[in-house]
Amino acid sequence: MTINLERRSPVKLKGRPVKTGIREGRQIVSGYAGAGKGLHIVDLSHFSRWDIQDKRLSRIQPYGDMIPEKPGQIFMDKHLLMGRLNATQAVAWHFSELKPDMPQTQAFTDITDAAVALALTGPAVYDMAEKVCALDLADPLKTPPFLVQGPFSHVPCHLWVLDRTDSGGCLALTCSRGYAHDMVNSILEAGAEYNVTPEGEDIFRAWLGWGG
Amino acid sequence: MKRLNQLPTFRIQYGKELSVNFGQKRCRGLEGDTIASALYANDVRIFGRSLKYHRPRGLYSLDGECSNTMMAVDGIPNVRAENTPAVDGMNIKAQNVFGKTPDFDMMRFMDELSWAMPAGFYYQTLHKPSRIWPLAIKHIRKAAGLGILSPDFHMRGKFDESYISTDVCVIGGGPAGMCAALSAADQGLRVVLLENRPWLGGYFEYRPREYQKGVPLYQRARELAESVGHTPNIRTFKNTAMIGSYHNNLITAFQRGNKSDIFTERYLEIRAGSVVVATGCIERPLLFENNERPGVMQIGCAHRLARNWGLLPGKRAAFSVGHDLGLEAAIDLADLGLDIACVADIRQDSYDSNLAAELEKRNIPFLPGWVAIRAHGSKTVNAVTLSSINATRRRKLSCDTVVASAGMTPVTGPVILPGGKLTYDNHTGFFLPATIPPQMHVAGRLLGLDDPFAIETSGLLAGLKAAADCGKPVENNLKEMAKNQATLPGPTRGTKLVTGPVKGKETFICFDEDCTLKNINQAMHRGFDVPELIKRFTSAGTGPGQGGIPGHNLPMYVAETGESPDRNPKPTTVRPPLVPVYLATYAGSNHDMSKRTPMHDSQVKAGGKMERIGVWNRARRFSSDTSARKEIENVRNNVGLLDGSTLGKFRIFGSDALKALQRVYVSDMSKVAEGKVKYSAMCNEDGCLMDDGIVVKIDENDYYMTASTGRAGQTIEWIRYHTRYDGWNFHMVNLTDAYGVINMAGPNARKVLEKVTDADVSNEAFPFAGYREFLIQNMPVRAMRLGFVGELSYELHVLSSYMQSIWDLLEITGKEFGIQKFGLEAQNILRMEKGHVIIGSESEQRTTIHDLGLGFLWYRNKPEAKTVGAFALKDTEHQKGRLKLVGFKMKESGTRVPKDGSPLVDSRIRGYVCTARYSWALKEPIGMALVDDDLCGEGTTLNIYEDGCKGKLLSAKVVSMPFYDPDGKQMRC
Repeated sequence: MTINLERRSPVKLKGRPVKTGIREGRQIVSGYAGAGKGLHIVDLSHFSRWDIQDKRLSRIQPYGDMIPEKPGQIFMDKHLLMGRLNATQAVAWHFSELKPDMPQTQAFTDITDAAVALALTGPAVYDMAEKVCALDLADPLKTPPFLVQGPFSHVPCHLWVLDRTDSGGCLALTCSRGYAHDMVNSILEAGAEYNVTPEGEDIFRAWLGWGG
Repeated sequence: MKRLNQLPTFRIQYGKELSVNFGQKRCRGLEGDTIASALYANDVRIFGRSLKYHRPRGLYSLDGECSNTMMAVDGIPNVRAENTPAVDGMNIKAQNVFGKTPDFDMMRFMDELSWAMPAGFYYQTLHKPSRIWPLAIKHIRKAAGLGILSPDFHMRGKFDESYISTDVCVIGGGPAGMCAALSAADQGLRVVLLENRPWLGGYFEYRPREYQKGVPLYQRARELAESVGHTPNIRTFKNTAMIGSYHNNLITAFQRGNKSDIFTERYLEIRAGSVVVATGCIERPLLFENNERPGVMQIGCAHRLARNWGLLPGKRAAFSVGHDLGLEAAIDLADLGLDIACVADIRQDSYDSNLAAELEKRNIPFLPGWVAIRAHGSKTVNAVTLSSINATRRRKLSCDTVVASAGMTPVTGPVILPGGKLTYDNHTGFFLPATIPPQMHVAGRLLGLDDPFAIETSGLLAGLKAAADCGKPVENNLKEMAKNQATLPGPTRGTKLVTGPVKGKETFICFDEDCTLKNINQAMHRGFDVPELIKRFTSAGTGPGQGGIPGHNLPMYVAETGESPDRNPKPTTVRPPLVPVYLATYAGSNHDMSKRTPMHDSQVKAGGKMERIGVWNRARRFSSDTSARKEIENVRNNVGLLDGSTLGKFRIFGSDALKALQRVYVSDMSKVAEGKVKYSAMCNEDGCLMDDGIVVKIDENDYYMTASTGRAGQTIEWIRYHTRYDGWNFHMVNLTDAYGVINMAGPNARKVLEKVTDADVSNEAFPFAGYREFLIQNMPVRAMRLGFVGELSYELHVLSSYMQSIWDLLEITGKEFGIQKFGLEAQNILRMEKGHVIIGSESEQRTTIHDLGLGFLWYRNKPEAKTVGAFALKDTEHQKGRLKLVGFKMKESGTRVPKDGSPLVDSRIRGYVCTARYSWALKEPIGMALVDDDLCGEGTTLNIYEDGCKGKLLSAKVVSMPFYDPDGKQMRC
């Protein structure tokens, strides 16, 4: 007996997908109809994420040289975000369409399915964020990109402040996958006054200059 | 009532009409009206009745400083009509009224009984005999009080919240506050500006007096407001009342939403690097007989009523004031058409002679050194008696409005709450901040300044000080600004008079609590000489106005009239919230964040009765049958599927990973063999069971372990805590949400699995307690042979994104073998039949693994100091007097199942029922109980006491466990 084994995102966004594709058994939405130029919520849960832990992270091969030195720092390059969490732990997040092979050394754990990953892009991202998060994500003393660990809508999250300009910004967040439904609802509720709408992954890539 | 013609200071919009219902009366208003102004425009003068004496009450401050104008609006009690915008169709009711309208209150006779309610009335009367008090309290509560809230009232609206970080928070959007905000923003800082009113401008906003040649104050206010609006790094929150101020510059506030906002009210929590308090002043009430009669109002109330809402306060007004604002208002209101009977000024001199000349020009009698001593009129004012301060001359004037104010008092709450101290200043007559908390600055009228330029400059200076707090190099700017400030007029001399020559019986010092000067005198005669104690004894200042009305006058009056006059009066304390706020606003949006398994939607669709178990939503059962009989029998006879995704799942790896496992698990974890699962338990330092789970070895120094659902969140921290001093090289990854878990159990389980995998899953190749990794349609699965429910079981750990597909595949494949879903209730009974425990159901904080019969898990030969709880396990192994877990059956057939948690008794409580259910396998009730160790012998009778059993105990006997398949053949087959 065989059936088509489909992979599912924990996120269900209400919207009409206009650009879709199948990747690694998952249906991917690259664009939604009528998303407009407002605040967007994007499901990034399908992109590979690896946990990297070792006593001496900088010596990890490969990727060791890409791991930032201090907790909270992010290295961005070629569809890769590498965030330092603490002295012995980092997270790598790949945004390329082709899934990279995870190095088979003990330091790496594939945690793609462990979390829900969302991005908020567009104007008023940080105005919206302060409705559910007491952390100062718009602190002018911190220049994006940077990574903060803390509660967002009362749930422990990794908050990736990737861009912040006068006209808006780009904030990505990850938290335990089980919270996906309530986290999305919480964001939609808080973002209602900013007309938050679902968008596909293209807008996230475009925002970071990684092409549509 | 006819409104004035268009003025540049209007906040209403002609042509945009609305109507509100006040009792039976339909009142027409205009967009921009508050409830209070809309009612006033419809000749409503009595807004409600007072707390104790049912005296009529009306407009007083227009800023909601007291309970006079608290009304029930659309079912919500105690809404401040002066601060709440009127909305078309609103239903408004007066409060504390026994009758149809507040004009005719059947309880008004209470006013005549005030002699029977002296200060401290509640403490002194109706307590003896003690049985009277419950009766009295019932009737007092009926007769007194403000709003009534129905217990089943549902608060409508959306209550939002926001957590704002900023460099500078400015409290108060008057001229000083706006200048402070602009000055700080000019340094590139992020500024938050809070203003209670719906617009910026404060002290300048409604006044036509000249700021400089050709520029009236109101125009200057608008210019500043525009500058603020055009400064992108200033975020302005209007309609926002500050309610709390705490150490480290945490400011709390709430914002009232208007039509375009998505929220009814929004709670704000602001963390700032520096705070500027520019809250200005409120008017200090003048105390005289009937000083709260409708028609008596403050200067700002009368003036703003005309200037902002186009309503003259009456036809003929008498002024009794102690500040130039009163003279200015009288002149302006006269120009707008109000007949001014006279202006009495407390001050003999020190008033602005130009204003006095303007009064003279308009033939308005000006009486320096005179004061109002009584307002006349039974419901509303119809006359006023004035007296010279020395009480030698009196004059009675007919009027329908008395504009009265003794002077000003600064709003210092934001400074006091985080620890600032006030001292009395003889020049201004103010309680001024003597010590201010770090990174907090004050500006504007709060300092006693009256000159517009001085007010603005003090704001600019405070803004620069705040910028300096935030690390901006502004030393030179500060010096220059301080120099400028020194050239401008300083604080003006204030008045100190609280009351004219009055008896005090109907002179109200606190409107909210119906507290008179006579009450204060009574308290002082009883020996109370400290305002803080008098406040408590008389309840003055304990109402919703939080001391706004009596806050200044009470300590001043006590200081002046005490046996030995106090030259350093002390103000009473204020506490958050400084202004009344809905509890719903504090509660905020209250996002209930819970977790869902990958199977959630399909389980709901299949009729799953979902329950919240900790943070998770789980299916209790899949039918309305609470016994879950079909699900249980299907597992025993065919095969069932349970979603066990909530189990905690972790990877632990590194050269010292085994040491960490040895530390927290009681068993010898070095014996975790490849291809096998090892079940063990974690104890705390007392040897009590904290968690249990399995560990498998997936590689060298690389383990995969599970924890119970409830402990998933704590496990990593538990292990880290107990290894914190060792410096071991190991790492952990929480994979709880990365993997879904399918528990496939029942005699047909293998038949289903064989059909979906090419791996050999026979009993020989994959025996009980085995661990295998294989593929199901190219999808890697971690599989364990376990037996929690006592049948042949496979626990399949699959990536969460594949979970639904794998489940669907098993359901389709297993159809021919009778596969069905089962939920937590079925699992609970199945495992109980097997005698397996659930932490929290069969254990509590004092339960060791020995008590549960799990002592065999403990490996004694590990060095004791290295295993958490080992010492205690040794000590408690043979300890007498412990509660032990036993199985029981009911003694008599046909007896029903006892309730979980029921105590077991003889002459005392001897234990309790942990879990008891009807066993469909055994066709009788069975259960597990924790009992005193002398009762755990087989055959011992247990008497079960249940709620409401009226002494009729259920009788059970101790039996051996497991109840079902004691040899374990089913799960090992």
